Amino acid sequence: MSSFKTYDKGDVLPEDYKKALLNLMSFQADSEYAGAQRVAENHRFATRPEEAYRLSKKVFEEMGHAFYVWNIMQDLGVDVDARLFELSHNPDNPDPAKVNVINGFRKENWSKFFECWEDVALFSTVVTPAAVAFLGQYQNCSYLPWARVNVRIHKEEFGHLAFGVWASKRCIEFGGEKTREDMQRRIPKFMKMGLGFYGRPSSGDRKSQMFDIYYEFGLKVKKPEELQAEYLELLDSRLKEVGLVMPAGVEPDYDMRIGYEAEEPAAA
Amino acid sequence: MDVPGPERLIEAEAALLRRFGYSPFAGEEPDWPAMWELLKGDFATVARPHVPAYVEMTPWPREAARIYMRRRLVADRLFEECERLYLELHAAGIDTERVEAYTLGRDAYEDAVLDFGRARETLEEVLARRVDPRYPA
Repeated sequence: MSSFKTYDKGDVLPEDYKKALLNLMSFQADSEYAGAQRVAENHRFATRPEEAYRLSKKVFEEMGHAFYVWNIMQDLGVDVDARLFELSHNPDNPDPAKVNVINGFRKENWSKFFECWEDVALFSTVVTPAAVAFLGQYQNCSYLPWARVNVRIHKEEFGHLAFGVWASKRCIEFGGEKTREDMQRRIPKFMKMGLGFYGRPSSGDRKSQMFDIYYEFGLKVKKPEELQAEYLELLDSRLKEVGLVMPAGVEPDYDMRIGYEAEEPAAA
Repeated sequence: MDVPGPERLIEAEAALLRRFGYSPFAGEEPDWPAMWELLKGDFATVARPHVPAYVEMTPWPREAARIYMRRRLVADRLFEECERLYLELHAAGIDTERVEAYTLGRDAYEDAVLDFGRARETLEEVLARRVDPRYPA
């Protein structure tokens, strides 16, 4: 792990550092809020009362993640209320000039992955481990207010992972072997998202252009390959717990961008 | 020997709690049978094709069902707390006080939802012991 200077609330930040930091934070915050909206749209699939209440609490938690990070961005001079307004008033098509929502959380990309409650359960079982690994690294980043907030977010993402495992087990409990087999077939579409979460490898022709900058600044502290290994370990253990098997030969979908490298120009 | 009747003992308990603001519920009791009809599907399984109606249950499973429904009502009130805090944030804007207040409301709602889940598990155990032998699959 490289060594880097840390900054706390009130410290003067170098301009290039601040720009990189706000890029990553805005993607996180704006996408968490959009993610909450997407999760709320999946309420229509909830089949039983407890499923409905647990999904409802997940919506409020994802919103909370956005609020935590926006609160810090506000301290750095960002008009976060304008971002909140844009997302809350244009949920189906927020303006990319005003907010930074990752492709995967835009409604037109997200909704096609969900056909039934089993998909909702599987998203939290198969994709959330990627979020746990990805966001987990920010707990050790160089901007300490953001690191502290990500300790809270990371803990709650583990709760979402637990929700996924609980919901998946319930699906199989009620639906039996037929449901288990159906869920097994659905895993690859979510696993592609999870594998693509961190962006491209940190070396070679397909390397992310921005990664080196974030890594030097201590805004990202783990390489994509490390995060992917962490993801696969978590995923394997959770799938076993549910009674499913991790499929082999699944390729990452980098273009879906459930995670973010923020290489394209971000909304200010 | 002056043995207190059952009401007198409870009155003594209530008097103690009244010192701290307790007052008996004066509103309308929920329609337990109707609420149960909307929730009982969660207990239908291949091994339990018939989930009894509220009025069909004996006191033991009926009480487990009432507690399960009471937990649900607590969750509903805390859902409304979250809703209020969420709308307030949107109206007034992001700031630390409101974000932390929202977090407290959201944590309380989470606890209530998990309590609702635990009550479901208790009810499931009681149904298995008390109801299933009466309505074999």
